[in-house]
Amino acid sequence: MKSFSLKPYLLFLPSVLFMLLPLYGLLTAVLNSFGRHRGWTLDYYRQIFESKRFVMSLAFSLQTALIATLLSILIGLVLTRSFYPILEKITPRVSVWIPMLFPHFVWGYLVILLLSETGVAAQLLTAAGWISDPQHFPVLTRDPHGIGIILTYVWKEVPLVILMLLPVYASIRPEYYALVDTLGGSVWNRITAVELPHLLPVLMETSLIIFSFTLSAYEVPALLGTTFPEMVSVLSYDWFYGSSWQKRPLAFAAMVSISFVLLVLSFIGYGYLNKARWRAVKGNRS
Amino acid sequence: MNQRPRLFLVITLLFFLLPVLILAAQSFSAPWRFPSGSGLDWELGSYEQLLQSPMLWKATFTSIWIGFIVLMLNVVIGVFTGKALTTVPLKGRPWVEALLLSPILIPVLAIAMGLHIFMIRAGLADTVLGVIIIHLVPTVPYSIKIFHNSYQQIGRAMLEQPHILGSGFFRQLFTIELPLLKPALRSVTFLTIVISLSQYAITAIIGGGRVLTLPLVFFPFLESADASVMSAFSLWFAVIPVVMYTLVEAVILLLPYSRLPWRNKR
Repeated sequence: MKSFSLKPYLLFLPSVLFMLLPLYGLLTAVLNSFGRHRGWTLDYYRQIFESKRFVMSLAFSLQTALIATLLSILIGLVLTRSFYPILEKITPRVSVWIPMLFPHFVWGYLVILLLSETGVAAQLLTAAGWISDPQHFPVLTRDPHGIGIILTYVWKEVPLVILMLLPVYASIRPEYYALVDTLGGSVWNRITAVELPHLLPVLMETSLIIFSFTLSAYEVPALLGTTFPEMVSVLSYDWFYGSSWQKRPLAFAAMVSISFVLLVLSFIGYGYLNKARWRAVKGNRS
Repeated sequence: MNQRPRLFLVITLLFFLLPVLILAAQSFSAPWRFPSGSGLDWELGSYEQLLQSPMLWKATFTSIWIGFIVLMLNVVIGVFTGKALTTVPLKGRPWVEALLLSPILIPVLAIAMGLHIFMIRAGLADTVLGVIIIHLVPTVPYSIKIFHNSYQQIGRAMLEQPHILGSGFFRQLFTIELPLLKPALRSVTFLTIVISLSQYAITAIIGGGRVLTLPLVFFPFLESADASVMSAFSLWFAVIPVVMYTLVEAVILLLPYSRLPWRNKR
């Protein structure tokens, strides 16, 4: 007699063990943000949301991450859509992925080397006589608007978007396009009726990955940001690693707030995708 | 339509190749001062200065060691989970997949801060092992995804065949699955090493500044070193994944059905 067997589920053992790490880490962070060792309190959240420094920082982080994500997705989508027959070949594909060979902060240094006020671009423009002094070059790195951070992220994430979208474009069967054409559809119909349904799950997932990363990563803003406004990750790292341990709960509260935003967004995203998939299975797409 | 390849070439050269060429040119010449009329001064001084730093070599070996172990663990977790997601019947599969992806959607900084106290208690803070463990968090979800995709491409029929013929788990793995997973192994190697090399904040938190990896040397270098040395250092970061990739490629050759002279004689 062979009824329910547990054996195949053993394959999940390594991933279950692994998942304990992030879950335990996040749970501890949440507990600490509510003051686990000094009596339960909401005081740390009150403190950060009453401090102008944190609220400004949160707004700045959300804005920077959102712009970086949208630009990466948009540019990556346009490049993949325009060039996917070329990108099928190995040499063009590998050359587009060059930025992925470098860590983010190294690419951040490259942006400084190229675009800072003493950088290569400023020097070349001065030497060519377009601007009279390198100091007249616009401030693009360590600027208060996060331009340097956004530039670095977009430059690094566009190859990732291409990497994620390329298999999708390669898998769209040309018959679908032919169908749109025979029915007298335009290029716009091709995009909305054929490509978008294929792309939507991947686009959603890629956007979430990029948004989470740009919102919460420390390295690039630490290198290319200013002290005001600063990204939440830099602020939290300072609170966590600063001279006094008093501010550690604030670091936890700040990072937990960010995690909360991201979890809600992911939940909405995946919930929407599941619903769309369910409707597609039922055959009712209207 | 003929414009397309040309436009693609221009975009690729300008945005993807030129930056790295500039980085290379700067690393082989003295810091540039074009407005004062000076040109390129070719020299190797930056590499001498960089490679003479004993800290750099120590950090390079630590980074490679950490990256290697992280990669091995990624392959194990990724292969097991990829196979499980493809072959084991599951209710609510999309949610399981989302859950397994969630470690890269939650800020890794929050996870590292939370795990820090646990690491201190377990004696893993300030150790290489602790850093290896925390580097799993931002890498494993990608590996699971890549191996899962590959297993799905292989298909359940192909996976059931050796099972029906009565071969055991490891025999299935080494003769059927791993040879077919070669592209996935390559992508995972590459991604894992680069992500592991990219971690400054979580390495500093868990390693407590005692575990010196390359990023921990790179950040303080920015304060003191000139553009030439920094460019050389930047390129150094790209050398490591390439070396690791070559090593893994050599290991992959040992798998069955690889094109090896001594195998093709049969």
